[in-house]
Amino acid sequence: MTSESTLFSNRWLPILLVAPFMLLIVLFFYVPIFQAFYWSFFLEQPFGGGSMFVGFDNFARVLSDREFWQAGWRTIIFMVTASSLAVLIPLILAVAADRKIRLSLPARNVLVWPKGVAGASIGVVFAFIFNPFVGILAPLNSISPGIWAPGLDGLDAFITLIAAHVWGGIPFNFVILLAGLQSIPRTMHQAAAMDGAGPWRRIFDVQLPLIMPQLFLTLVLEFTESVTSAFALIDTITKGGPGGATTLLVYKIYVDGFSGYDLSGASTQTAILMVFVILLTAAQFLFLGRRINYER
Amino acid sequence: MIENARSLNITASIILLIGMVYISGPLYLTLTTASHSYEFMLRNGLAWYPGDQLLANMARVFTETRIPIQMLNSLLVALGNAAATCILSFLSAYAIVYFRVRWAGFAFALILATIMLPLEIRVITTYQVASNIFSPLNALLDVTGLNGLVAQVFGAPVHLEWSVLNTHFGLIAPLVAHGTGTFLFRQFFRTLPTDLFKAARMDGAGPIRFMFDILLPLSRTSFAALFVLTFLSGWTQYLWPLVGASTPDMQTAVVGLARLVPDAEGTVPDFPMIMAGAVIVSLVPLLMIALLQRYLVQGLVLSEK
Amino acid sequence: MNAIDTAIRAAAASITVKGLTKAYDPQTVVIPPMDVELKAGEFTVVLGPSGCGKSTLLQMIAGLERVSGGKILIGAREVQDLEPKHRGCAMVFQNYALYPHMSVFENMAYSLKVAGMAKAERAERVAAVAKMLGLADYLHRKPGQLSGGQRQRVAIGRAIVREPGVLLFDEPLSNLDAQLRHDMRIELADLHRRIGATTVFVTHDQVEAMTLADRILILNKGRIEQFDTPKAIYHHPASVFVAKFIGAPPMNILPVTGDGSALRLADGQVVANAPLTGAYQLGIRPEDIVVDGKADGHAVKAALRFREDLGSHSVLAVDLGGSIVRIATPFGADIADRLELLLNFPTSRLHLFDAATGRAIPGAFGAQ
Repeated sequence: MTSESTLFSNRWLPILLVAPFMLLIVLFFYVPIFQAFYWSFFLEQPFGGGSMFVGFDNFARVLSDREFWQAGWRTIIFMVTASSLAVLIPLILAVAADRKIRLSLPARNVLVWPKGVAGASIGVVFAFIFNPFVGILAPLNSISPGIWAPGLDGLDAFITLIAAHVWGGIPFNFVILLAGLQSIPRTMHQAAAMDGAGPWRRIFDVQLPLIMPQLFLTLVLEFTESVTSAFALIDTITKGGPGGATTLLVYKIYVDGFSGYDLSGASTQTAILMVFVILLTAAQFLFLGRRINYER
Repeated sequence: MIENARSLNITASIILLIGMVYISGPLYLTLTTASHSYEFMLRNGLAWYPGDQLLANMARVFTETRIPIQMLNSLLVALGNAAATCILSFLSAYAIVYFRVRWAGFAFALILATIMLPLEIRVITTYQVASNIFSPLNALLDVTGLNGLVAQVFGAPVHLEWSVLNTHFGLIAPLVAHGTGTFLFRQFFRTLPTDLFKAARMDGAGPIRFMFDILLPLSRTSFAALFVLTFLSGWTQYLWPLVGASTPDMQTAVVGLARLVPDAEGTVPDFPMIMAGAVIVSLVPLLMIALLQRYLVQGLVLSEK
Repeated sequence: MNAIDTAIRAAAASITVKGLTKAYDPQTVVIPPMDVELKAGEFTVVLGPSGCGKSTLLQMIAGLERVSGGKILIGAREVQDLEPKHRGCAMVFQNYALYPHMSVFENMAYSLKVAGMAKAERAERVAAVAKMLGLADYLHRKPGQLSGGQRQRVAIGRAIVREPGVLLFDEPLSNLDAQLRHDMRIELADLHRRIGATTVFVTHDQVEAMTLADRILILNKGRIEQFDTPKAIYHHPASVFVAKFIGAPPMNILPVTGDGSALRLADGQVVANAPLTGAYQLGIRPEDIVVDGKADGHAVKAALRFREDLGSHSVLAVDLGGSIVRIATPFGADIADRLELLLNFPTSRLHLFDAATGRAIPGAFGAQ
């Protein structure tokens, strides 16, 4: 809008238009967030005895819990490895699909399929494919038993999770990065070619620098995504095992809250996770986002 | 351009081939395994070629599991999520972009913040709210002291209770509380020429007429894109339907599918039937992608900046 | 003349602006208090560089911008606080702003539909306008299927179908190619001659202003520099700004000093006799400079820098005492190899402006 004063000036109509959505958001977004912080300072009394203010007791309890720290570290490790792979692999695919080659069209089609497959469904499928007895790697075990044992070896289970996560994350990141590549003007390629840059070189000198905004965006979203999408995969592939090796924070919160009935503990962990995610997003915008704003 | 890019094109082709195998491989193995018998799988493990038991396994899914009724739940949740998100997002974006209100920026920030903290993170307390959606109101009345007043006058404080757990509304509503749609419509509205709005005003159109006669028809593509996006998102939800519905007949198909895998270790599960279930559960969204791919891609691109 | 022509001619209303101001905040004043009266049926072109406030003025008349102060009267009615639809104005936008999802007919009929006109009457009205604009065969098409000129006509049709008292144009020709712009200019002039609507036409193109306007309103930083007929503006520019804005190439402006009897250039050459003292700005149009003549006044020496041959005439750029002066002359190729020219500035063609304010000093060289 060029000028504010051209807009409609009704007073109540816009409130009426936003109200239903705002109500929903307040009820199912802001109230739960508030409650998570509320319960992290209160202890729920058993048998419906109400709540009791306990100050930072819940935090002290959670922060002295070794399992919490382990789950936290695993979350960070998963976040870093899974999300960098879930951006890097689509990036390579997008650069390849941006070329005018025969496979480019079918690839653009096939690579968005995972968007239609639920995380839990692909979890079920990957649990089968990587099953040590009947799965794709079962022959390895018949050569040397125990090489592939996601049910016993935490690392194997972790790898399975990451493979499934990257599989499900390809469509979004691929589409965004490809759209970024295709929005680079043709003349930019031509200018670089006239400057003597060959097609390989242009990938690094022209294409990658120019899709930094998209790359940044996918990375930011992927970080949050990896923290949350992991739940369906863990619940269907590893159940947090073996021996808690794949218990990330989202899964631990779920188990503590819904199986352990520890509302205060789960809320405290939720509060910590939320602060972590917000700080991470803010940090990314501060340190990465500022440098890559090209006017085009 | 006249240029020798052979080495790059060959590399690119190989990369795309690997990517397509990575994506379609698991889907193919799902299909082939679903077309063999349990005994075949026990003997041979993974099936690399299709067999003749696909229909039989699918029939078992339909007769032995709750997946058929759960598919209906999934459809309701997906459609409800898509329709509600489309309508509410459109209305709120319309109010934010086309009205001169001081709170527009603030409202947009409140809506946009929902993208940062997904439902999976706040599931514990969202469940609490869903178990009595009047609990915030009750708490508000308690805190402000109004309830004390009410108790004095009427003898008892106000305490309303309405659990939306185990209802379709409860399965859908928390999914809708998400800002992507509003963001998408706002971006679209801002690409429309200002003069179009001014022309409509000169023609005498008020806010309601402008919305129905001009904005709505022009937003058709955005609606389609957002609809596809939110339908798929609703269909593929896992954690919320898992906790939001406690009886098998209220759960969604994806949750039902995950429940088919027995928790007990040791025995090899009936993977052919489970895979047949996976095929059935994924059929609707995959079909949607195949038919409406254009809108899906558009929706994904629009939902970024 | 058919019914719609008569109706519009009858509806034509004057526009009176009294003390009108527009400011987004105290620091950014777009239009300081402005008073102007546009007569009923008159074609007024509002001309000025981008950012001069001409579009803001138009939008305030239309009701698309709020006024910060003052009054706007259409006919005898005060309208500054009314909604656009109650002002009796119609507008043609820069990019046409046709509704892309509606057919030509629906586009033109939309305002009538909003106003609640009966279907049959709507169809009749649109048909009459479409016939007048040569759009009768395209009524069922979508704007996307039309050429630029046709879209332009639909935009005009949409505006006049309401039989408005005032017709507003916001740089409607700026996106057309040169040939089409020329054709549309003629069409617009013809249309105005036929329907006689009060028209306010905003542009930054001086050719459009000169050819279309009954009167031109020249704006600079929100202030009226001059409001007069094209002829008067060309021959008697009220300020340096106007002198430079109208005419291609623009009027030459030279700093001169009066010594009591003559005006001298920076290098001391005398260009004219006048009993003036102090600093002035001297203006002369490129076509008024005489090359190698012996007309009244003094001959000055100038060095030739460039020559552009335009076929019908040449434009010479010469260095005169450190300033570049442009001369439009029918002289041909023989000038090419000469480095120095003798120029005459006929006194009757000179314009004198105040050095500080840039305002014209009329009658400085006797009656003009």
